[in-house]
Amino acid sequence: MKPWKIRKKDMLSLLLQGPKIWEAYNGLECQHRLPRSVHKEVKYAIALARKFNNEVLRPMYLDIDLKCMEDHDYLPWDFVKKAGEWKFYSLFLPKLFGGAGLNFLALYPFIEEISSVCSGLGHIIFVHYLGIATVFPSFNVRIINKVLRDVAKSEKEGNPRLLDLVITEPEAGTDVQEPLLIGRGRIGTIAKKVKGGYVINGRKIFISNGHLSYWHVVMCFEDRNNQGETFLQCVVPNGAKGFSFGTHEKKMGHLASTASDLIFEECFIPDRWLTMLLSDPKVKKSKKGSRWLFHTVIDYVVSSSRAGVGAIATGIGRGAYEIALEHARKNRVAGELLINHQWAQIILADMYRNVNVSRNVYMESAYTNMLSGLFKLLLKKPIHYFMKFLPKWYFTLISPLLRLKIATYLFRKYYFDWYTTEERDVSSGWASIAKYTCSDVGLANAGLALDLMGAEGLRHDNGAEKCFRDVKLQQIYESTNQINQMNLFCCLVGNHLPEVEFFK
Amino acid sequence: MNAVTTDSLAAERQAFTDLAKDISVKKLVENREEHDKYPFGELFADAIRDAGVVGFYGVNLPLDFGGVGMNTGMIAAILEQLSEADASLAGIVFTNAAALEILNAGAGSAKDASIFQSVKNLGSTPLAFPAYASPEEIQMPVMNKNGAGIFFGKINNLPLGDIADHAVIPARKEGENGFSYYLIDLSDKGVRKSKPIVSLGLHGCPAVDITVENVPAQLIGVQGKGGSYFRSMQDSMSVCAAAICTGVMRGSFNDALQYTADRYQGGRQIIDWGQVRMMLANMAIEVKVAESCLAAACREMNTAAPGWEKSAQAAAIHIGELANRVTSDGVQLFGGNGYMKDYPQEKRMRDAKQAQCLLGMTLLRKINYIAQIIEGK
Repeated sequence: MKPWKIRKKDMLSLLLQGPKIWEAYNGLECQHRLPRSVHKEVKYAIALARKFNNEVLRPMYLDIDLKCMEDHDYLPWDFVKKAGEWKFYSLFLPKLFGGAGLNFLALYPFIEEISSVCSGLGHIIFVHYLGIATVFPSFNVRIINKVLRDVAKSEKEGNPRLLDLVITEPEAGTDVQEPLLIGRGRIGTIAKKVKGGYVINGRKIFISNGHLSYWHVVMCFEDRNNQGETFLQCVVPNGAKGFSFGTHEKKMGHLASTASDLIFEECFIPDRWLTMLLSDPKVKKSKKGSRWLFHTVIDYVVSSSRAGVGAIATGIGRGAYEIALEHARKNRVAGELLINHQWAQIILADMYRNVNVSRNVYMESAYTNMLSGLFKLLLKKPIHYFMKFLPKWYFTLISPLLRLKIATYLFRKYYFDWYTTEERDVSSGWASIAKYTCSDVGLANAGLALDLMGAEGLRHDNGAEKCFRDVKLQQIYESTNQINQMNLFCCLVGNHLPEVEFFK
Repeated sequence: MNAVTTDSLAAERQAFTDLAKDISVKKLVENREEHDKYPFGELFADAIRDAGVVGFYGVNLPLDFGGVGMNTGMIAAILEQLSEADASLAGIVFTNAAALEILNAGAGSAKDASIFQSVKNLGSTPLAFPAYASPEEIQMPVMNKNGAGIFFGKINNLPLGDIADHAVIPARKEGENGFSYYLIDLSDKGVRKSKPIVSLGLHGCPAVDITVENVPAQLIGVQGKGGSYFRSMQDSMSVCAAAICTGVMRGSFNDALQYTADRYQGGRQIIDWGQVRMMLANMAIEVKVAESCLAAACREMNTAAPGWEKSAQAAAIHIGELANRVTSDGVQLFGGNGYMKDYPQEKRMRDAKQAQCLLGMTLLRKINYIAQIIEGK
């Protein structure tokens, strides 16, 4: 046999020796499975976001940022409605649930585009989808259908009802977002079983979009000493008895997107708003166990959201680059146009490199989510084309079927029983890579922009200092970069090494 | 221990650092969030007045004109102390001291001190000065052909332009290559001021854009020598820029150390997680390096050691970069709280980035630094 020939059996063995194709070449793996229309949808989403930036965002974003600085009580309702007029809150919802059905892969470049102008306002849209990505992994199709159809309907009526994710607590930030630490967390928000539902008591903080949302996807626990097996997720609409808004935080950046205190005082949640209950005997019967389910639900959420944080950070880093480039073209330093100094050119080249490396990383994570994360079902060509080509009225017609328990059963069968730990680790690990790489690179770019612009960069009216303030948040939320480093180690570095102990 | 005061200091020097500490504790820490607010309200009114009363604005003013007559090493000691609590007042003291250094340079070479006599309240009211940009970066006002000392044009980003009585600004005379520094009265009817500029950091030391038209201006020193006065000022004020960054870094580190001991996650104090300790270790090392670097630069300057200028410039550039890393980690170790204005860390991160720009853009200072070495200066 010629030396360059490889038997099929040997090839498989060789491919398993180093980085595995399904772990390290996500884009390559994903692209040949993508339906052609997905490509078109991604291009459409990018073009749409650019149109929105030109017509809506650029003329208003610095003024809104300043208004938020001047008046802490100001909330950007005008923008919320404007984005609703552009149908952004239902754009990426599957048609099955009343949305426009644009593929989720397109969401990430869309977010990058919006964030390249203003991540604070872009965040309002992104966090809404974060709320959706939180309610999805419960796969409680009855509630998902109800909530998402309400989103589409309210948007059409001009009064959009947004979603948010309610998880962080005063004493438990990292703990509630890291399944391996949850057992040690100091949990304060507890749900207690009562007749017909649950009563929630506690306080949640740093809730992005809290004051701007209508549907709050709440994660809490029944037993503070056994969190991993008593996880409970529910949706709480505005006006629910015992639910109220506290203050919202005074932040360094991301001023347009509120970080709210939400207060639950004897807040009664009827059983019909429970999306997931790990102590439910039917859920407990799962062969994989409650803790595995909890870990998987959390990882479905963070795998999709952390790639989104990567996209936001990339957008901010790109915005900083574009502002610095324009500045360098127009301003003279030491008698020369700044852009004609070689040292300035290499900084601009570095910034351009940073943006593109960053984009590749978050897209790898997005591809992983399509292959082995929350969106994997949508990548199946029959499902994709079924959703794409059938008209909306058809899905409205079959919508009552989604109330049947069999719908939830089938989704959970696919997303839990047929889901593997290896798939979860790859999507979660890559999401962490995306989150902490893009945010580090984004901060580096914002710093470089300020370095290049000197005193002019420090002024609010030039936009660069806003990038610097905004991008720092990307290193902190959706678990700090340090926790993401640990998660990456747990998922893809130490996961197959028997001697390794995590969070020792 | 203040890095600049690690040398054995005279009682007078120690008294100044004690005063700075007293103001930090009594005036700055308590009202830090209030002072940082936008829109700008009653800016530090008390703290600014107190800083003048205790003589912070006259430290490098000659004794003959009511100042203390000390060098910028003393100012660095004060700034380092103030910045540990809140760098905004340090920004005010810095701006005034930089303006005085231009006056000192001009008076020194011209053998003429008349410029000091024409400024009322010198030493008790701060002077405005474009401290964030070197003359190579800015568009300067131009001298009017019709009369000496009358000119028109615009100066962007003039710190203290809104509250100072006088400003030291550069201007160019038509047909001349160099530029000169001038003293102008900011209450003159030909001076128009913008609203305070919303900036990244140092909110308590706000800048304005000013437009000047037919404003009387008094030449500082010799016509066309502005470049050499700026370089002289840049050398002596570099230790002050480094001191602000060192103070901010130390404040960030000390608070991070305390917070990580108080905060529990994963069932233990977060200071007990190895990853957190590594970050704290990096911060502690960088703070120590900055302190050593600053102390050495001050020592060389005080003893007029050969090449002290380069040591001071290098210290300012290097410590400015360290401060950015340390304050960013300082926010990170506070987690979500670090991003909130209820805690001091986010302000320190913004202030450190703003302070890095004092004396001009860092990249240009680097290029000029290596040029000095290549040209054997």
